[in-house]
Amino acid sequence: MLKSTWQSKLTSSLFVLPYFICFCAFLLFPILYGVYISLHNFELLSENHEFVGLAHYVKIFTPGSYLNQQFFKGLWTTIQFVLYSVPLLVLVGLALAMLVNQLPGRVRGLFRTFYFMPYAISGSVMAVIWLMMFDTNAGFLNTLLAKWGMDPVPWLTGLPWVWVSLVMTTLWWTIGFNMVIFINALNEVPEDYYEAASIDGANAWHKFTSITLPSIRPVMLFILITSTIASFNVYAQPFLLTRGGPGDSTKVLLMNVLDQAFKGKEIGSASAMAILMAILIMIVSVIQYRLAYGRKEGA
Amino acid sequence: MRKFVLTLLAVFIAILFLMPLIWMLSTSFKNDFEALAGQMNFIPKKPTLDNYIEGLNGELMNVPIVRWITNSLFVGLAGTGIVLLFSSMASYALARLHDLPLRKVLFSVFVGSMMIPGILTFLPMYMEFNSLGWINTYYALILPYSAGAFGVFLLYQFFSSFPKEIEEAARIDGANKWHIYSRILLPASVSIMVTLGIFTFMSIYNDFVWPLYATTSPEMRTITAGIAMMAQGSYTQAYGKLMSMTVIATLPVMIVFIVGQRSFVKAITQAGVK
Repeated sequence: MLKSTWQSKLTSSLFVLPYFICFCAFLLFPILYGVYISLHNFELLSENHEFVGLAHYVKIFTPGSYLNQQFFKGLWTTIQFVLYSVPLLVLVGLALAMLVNQLPGRVRGLFRTFYFMPYAISGSVMAVIWLMMFDTNAGFLNTLLAKWGMDPVPWLTGLPWVWVSLVMTTLWWTIGFNMVIFINALNEVPEDYYEAASIDGANAWHKFTSITLPSIRPVMLFILITSTIASFNVYAQPFLLTRGGPGDSTKVLLMNVLDQAFKGKEIGSASAMAILMAILIMIVSVIQYRLAYGRKEGA
Repeated sequence: MRKFVLTLLAVFIAILFLMPLIWMLSTSFKNDFEALAGQMNFIPKKPTLDNYIEGLNGELMNVPIVRWITNSLFVGLAGTGIVLLFSSMASYALARLHDLPLRKVLFSVFVGSMMIPGILTFLPMYMEFNSLGWINTYYALILPYSAGAFGVFLLYQFFSSFPKEIEEAARIDGANKWHIYSRILLPASVSIMVTLGIFTFMSIYNDFVWPLYATTSPEMRTITAGIAMMAQGSYTQAYGKLMSMTVIATLPVMIVFIVGQRSFVKAITQAGVK
């Protein structure tokens, strides 16, 4: 071992320093500052920040209070979105990956690109495109329905259609990510497993359930976790497409947090909501990791 | 036969995926009257470049599109540059410089931070920039991306597996740490740096929530934040005009995506392996 002098340690540290400063300034400090803010009556326009302790948190858990409503109604809406979108994000992602893998080699890359393309665009562009597609009077979808002699659908203004629209756009926009990960996982399943199974006379369904699924299980859990986290963070779709409507039926938690901060100008209570939301997301992902880990050991 | 049916199915699904993008492109060449006529014509009856010409002249709905797109490109490139430089330096030290104090702790903390939901830092970061007087400046638009740990994570893996012998030979020849980093490791890592660069550029360029809140004047918006603002406003029925903006906004990122598709997929896959 080389003996390291303090000069050597110092030059080594200097390499980490620029990133470390950014990390502290734009991640570590905001986290601590957020906790501080959540313990104060922190208003956007006022200089005076009165210490209130856990009052904001207490209010969030006090049934009937405004904060309680904002938090738990928003949370329930978010959970609905998670329940509607996550199963499809996993299953459709897998189905698309399997379809692409079955295609002739020459066009495989082409179709992967087509399905993956929407993932490359911004959430705001995505929303504007779909505002046009979903437009009740002149939108692409209703024009198409009219051609087939069907009544217009209130895609962005009526229940349950708003949920259909939100899930549809989410699939269109993000499914490419899941598909790409699944394609990689499927390509790593050893080909001779399938050959051996064919010799034993296994049909396609058997091969799928007893070779493909067990082999890609870790990846499937990864997709499940990332899709759940992403769906918990849903914002662009309801914020720009339905604006939380009709009524508050698609107003997700993140919208309530940011409204409380920027429309209500109450950063303190909004921060308390944000911290609880973040803790919740982290708990959900830890539980899912645990389940993934536990199952792996059991297998 | 089976392959044929599957290919047919794949084509059908591809049409579903591409339809909204094609419709966007088609609508951008229509005047507002035709765009709202509720017809399914993919080829405009009276194709017009007016939406684009007005957009680039700054006359379109009185928004400075050229300024927005310039902001976006500048913010995206500057942010990507910072991420590439800072995370490559940090991960070089974490992976190769064994006398770095708290090496393992730092690495765990950095990588662990990728688990933290963005909402936790969003409001306090806004307040931080607010008290610095940096809301509505390029600092607010660029700096927050520099704390992302994905680059450190990705490059750490690459640098860790770099052969020791080359480094030792260079050291015997008198190369110091900076030489080894800049003359040996960086040139050897061009492909992974390109991968990280494409991934980073696309995610900064496409972000719209932070830039929407972190800017207050029209001139400081990025194109994605500008579009988000217009999507909430009263412009939403001027589809022809809006679509020319979304096409302009999407072009740079689509070019990067199509040219660097393999790298982009690689970065996503490597993110998945963690």
